[in-house]
Amino acid sequence: MAVNTLTMTALVLLYLAATLVIGYLGYRKTKSTEDYLVAGRCSHPVIIALSYGATFISTSAIIGFGGQAANLGMSLIWLTVLNIGVGILLAFVLFGKKTREIGHRLSAVTFPDLMCKIYKSPVLQYIAGFIIVISMPLYTAAILIGGARFIEPTLGIDYTTSLILFAVITAVYVVFGGLIAVMYTDAFQGTIMLIGMTVLLALTLVVVGGWTAGATALTNMADLVPTALAGQGMTGWTTMPELGSPIWFTVITTLVLGVGIGVLAQPQLVVRFMTAKDNKSLNRAILVGGPFILMMTGVAFTVGALSNVYFYQTSGKIAIDAAGGNVDAIMPLFINQAMPEIFVVIFMLTLLSAAMSTLSALYHAMGTALICDLWGRGRECALSLKAHQAGIVIMMVLSTILALLMPISIIARATVMFMGLCACAFLPAFAVGVYAKAPSTKAALWSMVTGAVVWFVWTAFVHAAEAKPLGLCQALFGKVTLLGAPWTAVDPIVIALPISLIVMVVMQVQAGKTQPAPAIA
Amino acid sequence: MLFGIPDLQIVLGYGLSIGLALACIVYGWLYWNEGDGGNGS
Repeated sequence: MAVNTLTMTALVLLYLAATLVIGYLGYRKTKSTEDYLVAGRCSHPVIIALSYGATFISTSAIIGFGGQAANLGMSLIWLTVLNIGVGILLAFVLFGKKTREIGHRLSAVTFPDLMCKIYKSPVLQYIAGFIIVISMPLYTAAILIGGARFIEPTLGIDYTTSLILFAVITAVYVVFGGLIAVMYTDAFQGTIMLIGMTVLLALTLVVVGGWTAGATALTNMADLVPTALAGQGMTGWTTMPELGSPIWFTVITTLVLGVGIGVLAQPQLVVRFMTAKDNKSLNRAILVGGPFILMMTGVAFTVGALSNVYFYQTSGKIAIDAAGGNVDAIMPLFINQAMPEIFVVIFMLTLLSAAMSTLSALYHAMGTALICDLWGRGRECALSLKAHQAGIVIMMVLSTILALLMPISIIARATVMFMGLCACAFLPAFAVGVYAKAPSTKAALWSMVTGAVVWFVWTAFVHAAEAKPLGLCQALFGKVTLLGAPWTAVDPIVIALPISLIVMVVMQVQAGKTQPAPAIA
Repeated sequence: MLFGIPDLQIVLGYGLSIGLALACIVYGWLYWNEGDGGNGS
């Protein structure tokens, strides 16, 4: 650790105090259940943009994917293309405005509630709520573990205590302040992230001698690509992998498409659209959201790749070797070795902000899904403030227990798995639901179930990255995966999403021929 | 080789990333005052 623990502790405590004060302001503004669930439907455009972006970008996007860029090169920049093009432009323009309009008109307060009211089907609300309550704790546990791993060495607190403290402090302002507190703190944390990543890019370019000198040096290192990676199709850090090679499939299907498209139907992000007062607010939010995401993932992938130049010039090793083979250790190692001491503090606060902003959104989405969409659905208690507070506490406790119990190998895949499942199960039904004049309930039900089942089968029995640590295929069939290469490198979203979409479209067209009555009055 | 990068696909990726971020700014600016009220009713 480059900075002494006392300074770091003081700054982290100051940051936490500021977060709790902002959370308290959110609590003071929370007067009704609608405030608690959808921030009173009158959020400021900048708060919507920063909250959406900070929720979208977790620690794993900066540390995990930054490390992947150090290992696999600048080809990951295509994920930034999708993050901005799909995750912001497409999401806000095509889905955000319609979601906000329908959410207002039908008084929907959660994503499953929105689906229920569009399709007039409580079953859809149960299924969507169930998928959220079952799958979101996995993703939450991954965020908790990432945060605890950061707090442990930074503040000198043991891992379990760090994890519990992290979980409880974040839950405090979510439980009391609801979505207003979550979005206010997200905006504060998003601002810290923006400052941290901007300084990181500037200092990295200084370290490697500017953009062209750094990129040229990285290009000239192509013959240093490890033999194992070269054998799988990697050609250098400034070139795309060989078309159709295992690394190409990993980069394009899992990292670029899996995460890039997966973002479109994440319940905790969809709710942000329903907090806007009007479409004008969403138009203005786009102006902030696009550059924000560019400065998050674009910078992380660039800095990750360029870190190879720094490590090679200072130690004669490429990044992955300097980090002892641990991809997740590359970015922290680079920060600690290459950056001035004061920046280490800024970057640590950036990471804490990324973790807390995503975690708070997940707590809120899980707690409200449990109460509004499952336990209290159709009853008066679905809109009880105290019931929702209890729901968030229950889901916080469950996620914390999961984080303490789950094997690290599974947790590391949780981000990609959660985003993939959301896209496969929800995206076709969500897209048709907000656009079709008479969306078919039957089509939505079958699409959701088919998407979720096909995603699970491919994840557990074909895609090696998940099938191997899950061990279900090994236990049932005595082999790691049922299919061989290249299928083992093809992400589940590439298979399950088109199938879910085909089911939705075919059944929707069929229903249109037989049931012309509109579902939305 | 463009800006030290030999692969045009990577250059295109960077170009699109920056271009799309600029498109977000332009879109937000152009539609700054559009979309009042309109709750789809």
